[in-house]
Amino acid sequence: MALWTLYKREFNSYFHSAVAYVVLFGSALIQGIFFYVLVQLIMDANYKEASVMQIFFNWPLFWILLLGQVPLITMRVFSEEFKLGTIEMLLTAPVREWDVVLAKFFGALTFFLVLWLPIALDLTALQLFSSPPPPVYWSQIGLTALTITLAGGLYVSLGVFASVLTKNQIIAAVLCFAMILVCFGFSFGKFFQHMNSTTLAWISYVSLPEHLQNAGQGIFDSRPVVFYVSVTVFILMLTKSVLEGRRLQG
Amino acid sequence: MIEVENLSKTYSGFRAVQGISFHVNKGEIVGFLGPNGAGKSTTMKILSGYLPPTDGNIRIAGFDVVTDSLEVRKRIGYMPENVPLYTDMRVNEFLRFRAELKKVTRRKIKERVEIVKDLCHLKDVENKIIGTLSKGYRQRVGLADAMVHDPDLLILDEPTIGLDPNQIRSVRDLIKDLGKHHTILLSTHILSEVELTCTRVLVINRGKIEASDTPANLTKLVRGGGSILLEVKAPGLDVTTKLEALPNIEDVEIILPSDGDWIQAKIFAKPGIDVREDVYNVVRANNWPLRELARRKATLEEAFVELTQD
Repeated sequence: MALWTLYKREFNSYFHSAVAYVVLFGSALIQGIFFYVLVQLIMDANYKEASVMQIFFNWPLFWILLLGQVPLITMRVFSEEFKLGTIEMLLTAPVREWDVVLAKFFGALTFFLVLWLPIALDLTALQLFSSPPPPVYWSQIGLTALTITLAGGLYVSLGVFASVLTKNQIIAAVLCFAMILVCFGFSFGKFFQHMNSTTLAWISYVSLPEHLQNAGQGIFDSRPVVFYVSVTVFILMLTKSVLEGRRLQG
Repeated sequence: MIEVENLSKTYSGFRAVQGISFHVNKGEIVGFLGPNGAGKSTTMKILSGYLPPTDGNIRIAGFDVVTDSLEVRKRIGYMPENVPLYTDMRVNEFLRFRAELKKVTRRKIKERVEIVKDLCHLKDVENKIIGTLSKGYRQRVGLADAMVHDPDLLILDEPTIGLDPNQIRSVRDLIKDLGKHHTILLSTHILSEVELTCTRVLVINRGKIEASDTPANLTKLVRGGGSILLEVKAPGLDVTTKLEALPNIEDVEIILPSDGDWIQAKIFAKPGIDVREDVYNVVRANNWPLRELARRKATLEEAFVELTQD
């Protein structure tokens, strides 16, 4: 009950600030440009059987979008409460810390997912206006959406954690970006030489691009699901502990 | 309603509150006074369940603040210092959100929000964004938020700080009104406010309770309950020695010559004795031209200064 009330307020608050619209506009623009360029490429190369999803997620600029969005969404969630002092008002209402942390997390995650809606529109447009329409593989689309949600959950939890550490939104954003970059950076490990097979196996276990490639081909792998969910839960627990600690400090 | 026993709070080695105990009964309006840094806000934060105490027992409405924190928080309306609010929300939206959060049942939310908007005179700004409101309105939104779930106890940390005299008066009237149905603990620096609204005063200084009494009794504690003001044309030293020679006068303070040779003297008598006649006799015997002779009751301000200064 308290969770639902807080969640509604968190999600709605994004639409009260200009940042949300700027991020939304930026995402839609970048996704639109990618989409246009990709369709051009596919037409020029005269692919017959390629999955649009598969090509889409192999496009490098796509990752910049993923990395850049999250810090902008999450930087204010706790920082602003500490800066304005509203955290005191919030935590003296009959709510538990867990409610607050989860509401902020799910609010941010929902907004993160909203930012991907333009792609869905682009793909729908492709379906409607090309003839013959390209084949639709629902398993690929569903798995890709699941992977983006899970990876987004992990990144958003890192952002929420960064935000609970500081009053300053800029610091929270930079910290979040750095943490996401480190997480994401592991996936490039395979390009380094002198890696033994165990290390490579570890890298592929945590590598988001590989997870997305698998999903894009319609292959379901339960390992990344376990990985993303467990790390997200762990980071949210850390967030709750820090929140409690900061409150007890006064 | 509030029972505090031996409450202590230590912040990284600094003892902000040192073993204070006090009670607040149902229906009282208690003023919490003390200089800046005395521990008022800390105590209020602990009562509201925001900060944990380092030591001591606190029960509100029968529930322990630490172990039954959620139950306590349901029963109190707390307005923190400087009234932090979500500046991006509209007044109506904010009050509905807070009512929902404080577990007001869905059917009653609309009714409660209307009631507190009426009480706090917020009708004309109900659709405005809180960030655009003036300090006075924000203060009232904070107050409306504190009462939206109709709590038994209101804890208000400096509810009138930063308001203009008209707004202070309207908040004061509001608090007096609320006191008919609620128990209220409020902190403030405006002593006239306490004299007019509170049934009891707690004075806290350096983390300790210095006094707990009605405003009227507190002023009686101050040097005999008042002083006599005398304005004569005479040498200051002369006035002091001649008046202090009187048996019932404890102390004479000369206030610097205000106007040529005229001097003002503040005379403190022994408790309960009226020395105006004796003073007049001295003045007449010495042929000092007299311009003023008046009795002044001690104010709460003097009581406050006396209790909190070393």
